[in-house]
Amino acid sequence: MLQRDSSFAREALRYGLIVLVLGFIVFPIAWMIITSFKPPEDVMVSPPRFLFTPTLENYVHAIYDKNFLFYIKNTLFISVTSTVIVIIAGSLAAYSFARYNVGDGHLLFFILSTKMFPAIAVILPYFLIFRDVGKTGVGRFLGIGLDQPGALIISYTVFNLPFAIWLLVSFFQDIPRELEHSARLDGLSRLQVLAKVVCPLAAPGIAVTGVFTLIFSWNEFLFAYILTRKVASTVTVGVESFFTLQGILWGPVAAAATISVLPMLVFVLAMQRYMVRGLTFGAVRG
Amino acid sequence: MYELKSVHKRYGLAKVALRKIELTVQDREFLVIYGPAGAGKSTLLNILAGITRPTSGDVLRNGVSILRVPPEKRDAAMAFENYALYSHLSVGENLAFPLKARGLGRAEVEERVSRISGILGISHLLERRPGFLSGGQRQRVALGRAIIRPADIYLLDEPVGHLDAKLRHKIRAELKALAEDLSATVVFTTTSSREALALGDRVAVLNAGKLEQIGVPADLYHRPANAFVASFVGDPPMSFISVEPRRQGDRVEFVTADGMPVAALAAEAVSNLREEAGSKIQVGFRSNEVRIAEEGDSNALRGRVDVIENLGYMKIALVGIGGDQVSVSVPAGTRLGVGETVAIAFPRDAVHLFQNARAVTHAVPSPGV
Repeated sequence: MLQRDSSFAREALRYGLIVLVLGFIVFPIAWMIITSFKPPEDVMVSPPRFLFTPTLENYVHAIYDKNFLFYIKNTLFISVTSTVIVIIAGSLAAYSFARYNVGDGHLLFFILSTKMFPAIAVILPYFLIFRDVGKTGVGRFLGIGLDQPGALIISYTVFNLPFAIWLLVSFFQDIPRELEHSARLDGLSRLQVLAKVVCPLAAPGIAVTGVFTLIFSWNEFLFAYILTRKVASTVTVGVESFFTLQGILWGPVAAAATISVLPMLVFVLAMQRYMVRGLTFGAVRG
Repeated sequence: MYELKSVHKRYGLAKVALRKIELTVQDREFLVIYGPAGAGKSTLLNILAGITRPTSGDVLRNGVSILRVPPEKRDAAMAFENYALYSHLSVGENLAFPLKARGLGRAEVEERVSRISGILGISHLLERRPGFLSGGQRQRVALGRAIIRPADIYLLDEPVGHLDAKLRHKIRAELKALAEDLSATVVFTTTSSREALALGDRVAVLNAGKLEQIGVPADLYHRPANAFVASFVGDPPMSFISVEPRRQGDRVEFVTADGMPVAALAAEAVSNLREEAGSKIQVGFRSNEVRIAEEGDSNALRGRVDVIENLGYMKIALVGIGGDQVSVSVPAGTRLGVGETVAIAFPRDAVHLFQNARAVTHAVPSPGV
C-alpha cells in the first residue's frame, strides 16, 4: 500500500515536471498561434482574453496586403540553396578531414575559430564587399550584390559551413575504414564508395546537419536585415516590416510568424526518420 | 602468380610491420600465413589487396608490378578480420554487393546468393541487418561475401577465427573443398597451428614482420628452420633441452648441464655446428618423439610431471627436466599424477638440433629408441 502511494507520488511529480517544462516551451508558441486568430481589438487587451471569435483577418492582411508569401518564397530559395551547398561542400571537407587528417587537426580548429566572433563584427565588411561586387558584371550575373539572393546564400554558406563540417567529421569518423576498403575490393571506385557506402552510413549525420543549417538560415535576421531591402528580403525581415510607424500590427505579425514556422515544422518532421543513431552498428567486430 | 619482392612496411617512424618479405603465391595454391597476433599478417593481405602501399619493395602479378593498380582493378576478393559488413544493407544485399558492383544479372545474383548462403548456413538470415546477427553469423556473412564471386585471388583474414569449434571445423572443410573445386588461389591467415597445417598447401610463418619460414606443412613440422617455428608450429609445440656438445671420435655427444647424455650424432651430421663460446645449443623433440621410459632404457632423464593435459584420445604430460620443460604424448589410459617423478626416454640419434635458435640439423626420426 505504502509502495503504491510512493510510486503514485513519483508519477505525479514526473508528470508535473513534464507539464511545467512543456508549458515553458509551448506557451509562447501557443500564444503566437492564438494571437494570430484574434480580432484586432482583442490582441492587446489586459487581462488577455482566451475566449474570442476566431478570425482569419490577420492572415488575409499578412498574405494579401503585405504579400508575405513573397518572403516565404525568397527564404525558401535562399536557405535551401545555401543548405544544399553547405551539405555538399561540408561532406566532402569533413570526409577528407576524417579520412586523411588534412592539416593535422590545426586546420579543423582554425575553421571552427571563424565561428568565434559575433556576426555583427563582420557585417560591415560584408556590406561593403557585396555592394562593390554587385556593381561588377560577374556580381550582376550571379546575383550577389546588395538586396540579391546570392549575397545571402553566400553569407549563410560561409557562416554555416564551419559548424556543419565539425558536426559531420565525427559522423564520418564513426564509419570503419574497412567498409571502404571492402567496397573498393568489391569493385567500386573511390567516388562510388562515397556514394554507395559512406553517404548512406553517414545519412543520419547529414540529416542532422541539414536540419540545423536550414533552421539557422531560415531564422537568420541580422544579415538579411542589413544586406537586403526589398527584392531578396526573407521572412524575418518580412515580419519586421509589420513594425510600422503607425504602430506594431501584432495580429498580422503573429499570423506571419505562424506561417513562417510551418515549413520548418514539416521539414523537421520529415527528416526525423533519418535522424537515428547507430547505423554502423554491426559493421565490424566491436 | 603473385610475388612480393623485398616488401617492407613501416607505420610512422618506429613501427615496422613487415621486414623485407620475399614471398611467392603460386596459381591455384592454398597458402596459409601463420603467425601470432601483431605479426603483420593483415598488413601482408592488405598489400596484396592494394589497400596498403608498401614502404619499399614491389608486388608483382604474373611478372608485372601492380603497385599502382587500385584495389577495384586487382580482382582480389577479401574477407576482413573484423568483418567490415555493410551495416545499412541486409545480409542478402551484403552478399549480392560484389556481384551487383560487377553488373551481374538479377537471376544470377539470386542463384549465387542462395547457393553461398546455403553452404555457410545463413539462408534464414538473408533479410536481417548485420547488427542483429551474432559474431559467428557475421563472420560467415563476411566470408560469404568474399567467396561469392570468381576472383583471381582470395584473401581471407582469419575468416573462421571467431566461430565455435564445431562450426569452425565444418567451414574449414567446406573452404578447402571449395578452393579445390574452384581451383582458386587462396591466401588465408590464421593464428591456429592446427588450421595452418590442415589447410595449407604451403604455410608461411610470420613473426614480428619477418618471414621465418615457408614450406609444405610436413617441412615446417619436421624440419623447422629455427626455434621460433619449432615452438610455434605443431600442437603441442616442440620442447627443448639446453645441452653442451662433446666430441667423441667421429661422434658428437650432447649432454645436459649436469652431464647427462641426451643425444649423440655423427660428426658429419653436425658439421655446420660452429664452435663459439657462449652459443646456446638446444636439442628439440616433438612430444611423440619421446616417451615415458621403460625398464632397461639407457638414454633416459628423470623429471617431475608439472601439468597433464587430457585431450581425450591421448594425454600430454609436461615434464620439468632441469630448467627445461618437455612435453610427452602418452596414451589416454596411462596413470600419471602431477608431481610424480618419471623418467623420459630420448631417441639418441633422432633429434632436432638448434644453435642460437637456428636449426643445425634435423636427424630423421627413427622408430624405437
